[in-house]
Amino acid sequence: MILRKLKNYLFLCLMTLSGVAVLIPLILIITYVIKMGASSLNWQFLTHLPKPVGESGGGMFHAILGTLYLVSLGGFMAIPLGVVLGTYLSELGKGWMATFLRHAIDLFTGIPSIVIGIFAYVLVVVPLKQFSALSGGVALGIIILPVVTRTTEEILKLVSNTTREAGLALGLNRTQVIWHILIKGNRAGIFTGVVLAISRAAGETAPLLFTAFGNSYFSYGLMQPMASLPAQIYTYATSPFEEWQRQAWAGSFVLILLVLGLNLSTRFFMRQKS
Amino acid sequence: MNILQVKNLNAWFGDHHVIKNISLDYMTNTISAIIGPSGCGKSTFIRCLNRIHEEVPSAKATGEVIMQGKNIYDADVVSIRKNIGMVFQKPTPFPAMSILDNVLIGVRLQEKLKKARLMDIAENCLQKAALWDEVKDKLNKPGTSLSGGQQQRLCIARSLALNPPILLMDEPTSALDPIATAKIEELMDNLKKEFTVIIVTHNMQQAARIADFTSFFVLGDLIEHGPSTEIFTNPKNKKTEDYIMGKFG
Repeated sequence: MILRKLKNYLFLCLMTLSGVAVLIPLILIITYVIKMGASSLNWQFLTHLPKPVGESGGGMFHAILGTLYLVSLGGFMAIPLGVVLGTYLSELGKGWMATFLRHAIDLFTGIPSIVIGIFAYVLVVVPLKQFSALSGGVALGIIILPVVTRTTEEILKLVSNTTREAGLALGLNRTQVIWHILIKGNRAGIFTGVVLAISRAAGETAPLLFTAFGNSYFSYGLMQPMASLPAQIYTYATSPFEEWQRQAWAGSFVLILLVLGLNLSTRFFMRQKS
Repeated sequence: MNILQVKNLNAWFGDHHVIKNISLDYMTNTISAIIGPSGCGKSTFIRCLNRIHEEVPSAKATGEVIMQGKNIYDADVVSIRKNIGMVFQKPTPFPAMSILDNVLIGVRLQEKLKKARLMDIAENCLQKAALWDEVKDKLNKPGTSLSGGQQQRLCIARSLALNPPILLMDEPTSALDPIATAKIEELMDNLKKEFTVIIVTHNMQQAARIADFTSFFVLGDLIEHGPSTEIFTNPKNKKTEDYIMGKFG
């Protein structure tokens, strides 16, 4: 009796400790970024373009918009494809084709992002002979695709077969069951996967280095190089200028806020819906 | 009058012969029960009647099921399922779908109707499923927020929305408590005024209480079929008698 309680207590302690161990680095990172970034964050930083070295002030307006632009572009290409692929794998995928696809998607998740960058470089930058927002979007899309595909597949596989049969028994055809019952009914779960994938893509630097490349000015052209927060942070953080380094911290802070904001707001809206 | 005639129905899972040459007639506005020990094929049999059986990989069926003069195995599978509703063992409200949408999904995807007409259908079906009073103030709440018994009645309402002459029920109360079960049995008695109900049950008392006719299955064979009063009080076959007396099963 005492031994059982002791064991119970011991494992409870262990689990609490591992929980704390996970939380510590997270809290440390966030507080440190806030401490270093918040002091350099001001209205000018959010609304102005960079100033030349030596002049104080200036900001990352172009990079913030650039990140939103590139991630949307990647998401626009990859999310519908990912949902369709995931649905195919869960609902129709049998035989060697599906098995091959499933392994390919798994492999995709494991490819280092710099390699994806090179791939997008060869695929888009080389034929078009210029760095472009398009190539950056393709690179981010390749990062988003496997995550969305896998989440969609896993979530649809959790739906019981009786639910599908109940749909068929109402005289719905297979397409109607898939769209109205499976996908719409699990949109919250699929959306979570989408947000997860987008958050990851928003923080990627490597695939953008030789695709979207970077830009000191604001641009919105699909065929022009485009700035992004991670790339801008990378450039500024590795520069010798103190002013730039402070701005890199501010940029990191904004990036964290963006991703966090995206996560929290989708969670909020999903809760409202259900 | 016969509404459904089953002729020489056979069904398989792969090489496993689960339904063996069964022929049965079902009369309009009656409740017919199918009883038998586990694994006797009663669920498979009923699943052949709306051709949901063939949705399982490796499953197949041969024979004829004639409804209103037409063999459903020669007809379009989607259209026959609109005429033969089905309620499953586990309640299956569709995820993230309101109570109202659950009831109306079949109708909505079939034809475009005015909102007022749709509301009429929803109220009518929920009334028939004895659920209206409990949900009329929360039609936009998710179907999954209801209790198990309410969910099952929601599924009944959903099947009724297409106004099918025949309603199949595959152990509809085996996941429910006795009070929820009693409610469903009561509403079935009302349903038979308009519909023909075929129910699979592992509960012999239930069959005796509600069914006008009862069929007894063992290992894919139809052992005996007749009015419930006869099957339960004066069975002709020794196996039926033994099963009803609790000697096997």
